[in-house]
Amino acid sequence: MSNLHPALVFFAGALLVAMLRGRAQALVALLVPIVSAWSAFQLTAGTEITLSIFDYELMPFRVDRLSLLFNYLFHIAAFLALLFAWEAGDRLQRVSGLLYAGSALLAVFAGDLITLFVAWELLAVTSVFLIWARGTERANRSGMRYLIVQILSGVILLAGAILHLRETGSLAFNEIGIATLGGKLILLALGIKAAFPFLHSWLVDAYPEATPVGTVFLSSFTTKVAVYALARGFAGEPILVIVGGAMAAFPIFFAVIENDLRRVLGYSMINQIGFMVVGVGIGTDLALNGAVAHAFNDVLFKGVLMMSMGAVLYRVGHVNGSDLGGLYKSMPFTTVFCCVGAASISAFPLFSGFVSKSMVVAAVLHEHHIVVWMILLFASAGVFHHAGIKIPFFAFFSHDSGLRVKEAPKSMLFAMGIGAVLCIGIGCFPQFLYARLPWPVDYVPYTGTHVLTQMQILFFSALAFTWLKLTHLYPPELRAVHLDIDWLYRRALPATARGVAMVAERVRLFGAGLALSFVSGLQQAGRHHLGPDGIFGRTWATGSIAVWVAILLVIYLIFEYGA
Amino acid sequence: MMSENRPNEKQYWFDQPKNVKLILRGLYVTCAGLFLADFFYHRHVDEPMEKIFGFYGIYGFVSCVILVLAAKEMRKLLIRKDDYYDSAEDGMPGGNAGGNPGGSKSGGDAP
Amino acid sequence: MIAEHPVIQILIPLLGAPLCVLTGRGVLAYWLALACSLASLFVATRLLATVMATGPIVYELGGWAAPWGIEYRIGPLNSFVLLLVALLGAMVMLAAKKSVESEIPGDRRHFFYAAMLLCQTGLLGITITGDAFNVFVFLEIAALSSYVLIAMGHQRRALYASYQYLIMGTIGSTFILISIGLLYQMTGTLNMADLAARLPAVGDTRTVLVSFAFFMVGVSLKMALFPLHMWLPNAYTYAPSIVSAFLASTATKVAVYVMIRFLFSIYGPAFAFDRIGVSQILGSLALVGIVIMSAAAIFQNNVKRLLAYSSVAQIGYIVLGISFASENGLTGGIVHLFNHGLMKGALFLVVAAVVYRVGSSDLNAFRGLGRAMPVTMFLFVLGGLGMIGVPLTVGFISKWYLILAAIETGHWLAVALVLLSSLLAVIYVWRVVEFAYFQPRDRDSDPVGEAPLSMLVPTAILVLATIVFGINTEWTVGVARAAAVFLLGGHA
Repeated sequence: MSNLHPALVFFAGALLVAMLRGRAQALVALLVPIVSAWSAFQLTAGTEITLSIFDYELMPFRVDRLSLLFNYLFHIAAFLALLFAWEAGDRLQRVSGLLYAGSALLAVFAGDLITLFVAWELLAVTSVFLIWARGTERANRSGMRYLIVQILSGVILLAGAILHLRETGSLAFNEIGIATLGGKLILLALGIKAAFPFLHSWLVDAYPEATPVGTVFLSSFTTKVAVYALARGFAGEPILVIVGGAMAAFPIFFAVIENDLRRVLGYSMINQIGFMVVGVGIGTDLALNGAVAHAFNDVLFKGVLMMSMGAVLYRVGHVNGSDLGGLYKSMPFTTVFCCVGAASISAFPLFSGFVSKSMVVAAVLHEHHIVVWMILLFASAGVFHHAGIKIPFFAFFSHDSGLRVKEAPKSMLFAMGIGAVLCIGIGCFPQFLYARLPWPVDYVPYTGTHVLTQMQILFFSALAFTWLKLTHLYPPELRAVHLDIDWLYRRALPATARGVAMVAERVRLFGAGLALSFVSGLQQAGRHHLGPDGIFGRTWATGSIAVWVAILLVIYLIFEYGA
Repeated sequence: MMSENRPNEKQYWFDQPKNVKLILRGLYVTCAGLFLADFFYHRHVDEPMEKIFGFYGIYGFVSCVILVLAAKEMRKLLIRKDDYYDSAEDGMPGGNAGGNPGGSKSGGDAP
Repeated sequence: MIAEHPVIQILIPLLGAPLCVLTGRGVLAYWLALACSLASLFVATRLLATVMATGPIVYELGGWAAPWGIEYRIGPLNSFVLLLVALLGAMVMLAAKKSVESEIPGDRRHFFYAAMLLCQTGLLGITITGDAFNVFVFLEIAALSSYVLIAMGHQRRALYASYQYLIMGTIGSTFILISIGLLYQMTGTLNMADLAARLPAVGDTRTVLVSFAFFMVGVSLKMALFPLHMWLPNAYTYAPSIVSAFLASTATKVAVYVMIRFLFSIYGPAFAFDRIGVSQILGSLALVGIVIMSAAAIFQNNVKRLLAYSSVAQIGYIVLGISFASENGLTGGIVHLFNHGLMKGALFLVVAAVVYRVGSSDLNAFRGLGRAMPVTMFLFVLGGLGMIGVPLTVGFISKWYLILAAIETGHWLAVALVLLSSLLAVIYVWRVVEFAYFQPRDRDSDPVGEAPLSMLVPTAILVLATIVFGINTEWTVGVARAAAVFLLGGHA
């Protein structure tokens, strides 16, 4: 019996790793999740630690079956990512990766909203370095956008938590619901981290810009913490069924045309989270179990896929579908592992995706949500199409690009291999996963109907791909950017700000005064008025300050006599 | 799947068109088999729609074709040059301040 | 001995100042000033401990009983502010030696230390006294000595900045003096407790109303409340770095203290908030100030200036908390007064270290310092996290109470704007981080080393305090809450 918070082990480990160099650094970093797991896997449901801090009763450590499942998952994910980082990692990435994983553990063991908020912000602050570590200008900017969106999510979570406290008198993190304004805000904060439609662009913007190692870390934690929090706080909210359906469907269109293969995986990640969100929204035991089991499996197979693309990026220097092809010749092991990941995400029988995704689909069918069920079937076919076929096909097969590189380093192969073995293991022996699910399980994945229908969908999707490819109807991979919702804040907003600034400038020329310049305070106008030469930023003539003094005095007097 | 002919290089399995054909044939046969399996296996049915013969196969095929064709149309609308976002300011005071803190940056390509 | 503490608090720096001048140009002046500052800190800690343990201390100066004599009255609020001033005075002084040697010519250093001690005397005096006129006297001592200190900046513009500060400061003090004069005219007393007792009877007269208006404008100037802040950015930018660090963390805070004291224990909440509705003016000025000044900070190219604008925005937070006139609001305002003093002191000391090593506080001068001065820059990042209000730092605690108070009183706009300004803070802190960590140093510039230990240690102490008090809030929030309860109870 132990009740040591695993996050503490990770934080302490990060500190130690920061002081080491070379092989010792990589080794200690790899040992951290193992050492932590040794005590964390002995945790038992029911352990609670409470703490009084500024007038409120907090519960920074609460262990139950739901948090335990994610506890196992995050330990495995951290281990695989650090093994993957054995050769390609550096101090910055190992330290921030450990802190990031620790923050995720802090979040899943949080028994109150304030601890959750702290973990929420730590997740943002620690993970951004995995993007910045890439060192390119694009990554720097993308990381900054990522950080702002994540911090915003935290701010909204805090606002929601405070409102929730006012409305219910409790900070405990249990079922929240969307009846109150506080609940709505918390859902919005979770929605940002879970990449709900229209709130998703940070994910596909930032993940592909991170380092090979960074993306493996990133894809394991942030969104899964959000799914965990949704399952705990918003189980059975009907709105989530609709949101999840939309999430499962819309990204696959983007995934088909996207060229950067890690961005394709980003879109497919949103698609997979869609299945989980639908499960949470249905809210029955079967659906919730399906949602969290799928989160578990997604970390593993998405990890394997991200690792295989990371390995390609590491060896080739890019992952553009348009310029790859034929890599199976030089990276045969990576190819095999990638195919295992692809089969798992596509939910082939005997692979892990099958045993969890089918739970969600079955639950939807039980509740007779026909439209959503059809969307999920469509999404299942679509995910096989873009993640199951497109990723391995364009990277490793397709026409030979002439690239001849070395096979991925052994450490990367080991990490992918372990991940792939787990994918197959869970797919073949789902009872090991089912036994650890938080709610009672009464589900048999391998029935004739399940297997047959799934095989029919998958093989006919493959047939569609083949037909489109042979008839050249399939859109070629192009070196191009495809606009997504982030266009709004990367392009439209600055352009509007410039437009407003320009209009304001003209109005000002006509002598209409200062009032509008307040409005235009965004981009240029900001610099214009707030910068060292602007009205609010420059040195004021002493006389004009005196005028302000007089104005304020008059205001006070008017106010007093008016009162 | 063609290969660029490199005289000195070892021939890989997929370099031979007959192997590719073999794979494709395998796919066609499997598909036909799965389609016909509906004759022999009585599927458990929850929804009336599922009763349609070969429902899952047809649904999978049709939805994939629609997916790809729709995405193709979508691309026409959304595609931009590779360096679209790199070409000018990004609208982030924090992100692009580097190197030119002097303040008098021109508005670039305001549309 | 305990009974004599209040006056010792003032006497130490007051007598230290002329001694500094007498010691002449040697290094002795520094050690003397340091000794005085540390002694002053020791006394302030004892005072706070006594007040928290046994309740307010009243000390009659020279044995004359109030209202004829001057009395010092020390409750939870002013002992808290005393500690802030004395703590920052001591930490800044610890760091001062090298920075002053590089920025102030040798023949003026002893004057510099004397002026620093006088400035401390003034600020401590304002805080400790229970007499309205005495407040004015100490205000002038603090102001005059800070004009001198700012004018010692080595750029020529320091002179203009000091001049402007002098004009504005004088207008501010004059307004406060007019206000005190009008109050004296109506009540015949200058003792704060006495004033509070006699004012309600004459509360509706035009004279009292006018005195209130003059006081509010005067004190707003002193604490640089938007839009009367314009003297501040220049003053902080061109002053010697050590002076910036000391004034930024204490001077405006003491002015805020004066406002709290007058609002709650002289005019009284009933008059100021219920009768006049000062909340609306203060609250709206604070909110506009928070947003515009945070945004202005983003666009600055000089780190001192950037921090100065952020200071004006942070004063907005404190005033916002006060304007709610509720227990949580006041607690938030008071605790932020203390917390912000710690953070800003630390950040300005970092800038002082950079100026010492690189010679400039321009953003460009920060290029590559993440590598060249890793410890210094790390301290800046930690302090910056506090400014943003990241959990586990003091900035979070303050914002928590402010937001709580805003929600309780239904000020939704305030909630939104406070949260928005956190995002703005991310950006302006990030700008410095970006230059320090993501921009290389110019190849032809001289190599730069880590800041000297004498500057790092006090900075690290302050940064550590921002984290310790961010995690263990029992003490700071406890004292601030005690002060808030005390003030709302209407006691002096």
